[in-house]
Amino acid sequence: MSVTRRAVLYGSLGTAAAGLSTRRAAAAPEPIRFGWLTALTGPSSAAGIGFNRGVVYAAEKINAAGGVNGRMIEVVTRDTQGDPAKAVNAAVELASNIKVHACLGPTNSGESLATTPILARFKVPSLQFPQLDTLIDPVKYPNAFRLTPTNSQWDDATRHYCIEILKAKKVAVIGDNTGYGTTATAVSVTNFKQAGIDVVYDAVLDANAQDTTPNILRAQSAGAEVVVVWSDSTGLNARMMNARGRIGWDVSFCGHPAMGSGDVAHLLEKPAYWDKVYMTGFRSCSFDASGKLPPRSQAFVDEVKGKVQLSDTVLYWVLAANDAVQLVAETVARTGSSDSEAIIGYWNKLTKWPGVYGDYTFTPTSHNGYPTDEVVMSAANSERDGAFALAPGYA
Amino acid sequence: MIESIISYGLAMGAAYALIAVAYNVMFSTSRVFSFTAGALGMLGGVCGALFIDRLGLPGVVGLLATLAFCAVVGVVTEFVAVRPVLRSLDQHLYVLSTLALCLMIQQFTAIEWSTVPQPFPQLIPVDLLGIRERFWMPVVACVLVVGGLELLYRHSMIGRAFLAIAEDNFAARALGLPERGLRVASYALAGAIGGLAGFASGGIMLAFFANVSPFNFYGFIPVALGSIGNNRGAIVAGIALGLFQQAANFLVGGVFSSVAVFSVFIVALLIVPQGLFGAPPARRV
Repeated sequence: MSVTRRAVLYGSLGTAAAGLSTRRAAAAPEPIRFGWLTALTGPSSAAGIGFNRGVVYAAEKINAAGGVNGRMIEVVTRDTQGDPAKAVNAAVELASNIKVHACLGPTNSGESLATTPILARFKVPSLQFPQLDTLIDPVKYPNAFRLTPTNSQWDDATRHYCIEILKAKKVAVIGDNTGYGTTATAVSVTNFKQAGIDVVYDAVLDANAQDTTPNILRAQSAGAEVVVVWSDSTGLNARMMNARGRIGWDVSFCGHPAMGSGDVAHLLEKPAYWDKVYMTGFRSCSFDASGKLPPRSQAFVDEVKGKVQLSDTVLYWVLAANDAVQLVAETVARTGSSDSEAIIGYWNKLTKWPGVYGDYTFTPTSHNGYPTDEVVMSAANSERDGAFALAPGYA
Repeated sequence: MIESIISYGLAMGAAYALIAVAYNVMFSTSRVFSFTAGALGMLGGVCGALFIDRLGLPGVVGLLATLAFCAVVGVVTEFVAVRPVLRSLDQHLYVLSTLALCLMIQQFTAIEWSTVPQPFPQLIPVDLLGIRERFWMPVVACVLVVGGLELLYRHSMIGRAFLAIAEDNFAARALGLPERGLRVASYALAGAIGGLAGFASGGIMLAFFANVSPFNFYGFIPVALGSIGNNRGAIVAGIALGLFQQAANFLVGGVFSSVAVFSVFIVALLIVPQGLFGAPPARRV
């Protein structure tokens, strides 16, 4: 190939232009790098996909409005596939190579247990969603803050509903034999007993148990007035509802949000078997008697209509993720800095910060920011666009 | 309580027995315990729901498509996980190869199908003698398979060839029997039987990728209790297992029923290591 003088001239002009463009880019404000670890593929990706819609929507909205003090939000997403090993590698990459200014996720406890110490070592401000109580510890991990309720808050809401609203004096507590189910069942039994309630039957079942009739019959013959369920297995939940329906027992089920999953509906022998099933939910994601969401949530749903799909996901996933991005943006705007210390310092003084999903409060000694009184019970069979109706009895 | 023990116990026992027969059929021509038996059972339920519920095929067509698909999976097992390790049977490499294939099938199903249980369609909307379909179908499937295998083994040349291979592989080959072809055929047959177990018990087990483990574990117990390679023993032990498991579910409840089942299994094998229907091994002198 011959090299002409014209080609050399064009090449020189191009190089000069590139140099100018580089200087201009160097002058542009540094983007706010927002690390986002979530399972977007694989068996546990449903929640990750829902959360991701909130992250993407919030970042695009902020950037469309000119960013934060002229700095764009750059979401750096890594698909962990629900695998703690992949999550660890991604966390190291985000913290040490990409040097994100803040990080959200991963979205399940197993992954977060593995990544939280890593993000703490790199002092990356970290926002978390998983419910596991021990995940958040301001002494061990001063950089980690939780935006969702803990398992204890779910347990508190369920116990409160059983005692104060359903007026139950005798309860049965049934969980599955996973690590989560076993722990949640034991804690629930202890807390009910401490509250002076008679736990007449408690059991841990195989998450894939085919016939739950013996256990439901035992709970019935023991005189349980409410059955508290701690299992995220939709199959087990549906089988227990079917067993309850088949023996014609008119008792309420209260407990885990998985009881409201659409997958449960497909497994029920009759739609009526879903009646009187109440799951933990959130005021911000609950319809009132007139079918309206609280004002902030309703405004968000109206705003995202046609832009974010809500019909096949859970509303709180989208809201909580939206709040996470908005919180980081506001922190940088208020502090004028994206330094780790500035962000963590701001969060440690956060008082009733008004997100859409809830009003968050952090202190240096408490990094669980979700308000307990926002955790309520919802009617499991009332889902509409990822939100649920309040269970009967709430004002 | 008694009604539930009998209905669930017989149905699940029949399903376990069918999985045990699938183990035996594969073992008879290869001397390999293929742990894809559980995956075949799982696929039976998933394929049934896929073909009938999602694709809208008629029940009979859905059943035949399920059996054909599972038979193909059986053949693939023979080629991929069994044939390469047959020369080193004494090293038991088949445990790894068949388990690996089983896990691959399970993970693929989880990703492509669903990670939560899906409903299995009801094929016949009326009960049979007042018994619901999900309870009688596994039992009927079991009876048909037992009858079919008896006919095959006793009244057909190919069945006798199977028995010859199972009895003495080297002698059968010396007589000119196509050992490889018969082994492939036995894996196809086992695939169809395993798939039938999952299809027939779909009303109880649902279409769920995680059914692999219960089918593998509970399906292996009748193999050991009924004496390895003995289909009649597997059927009797399978039914007994189902009834005992459901009775334990009522008597001790929760996860303890599984503990009870495995405890009895271990005790039984300590007393009769050769299985309930096997002859004690001849003592070399």
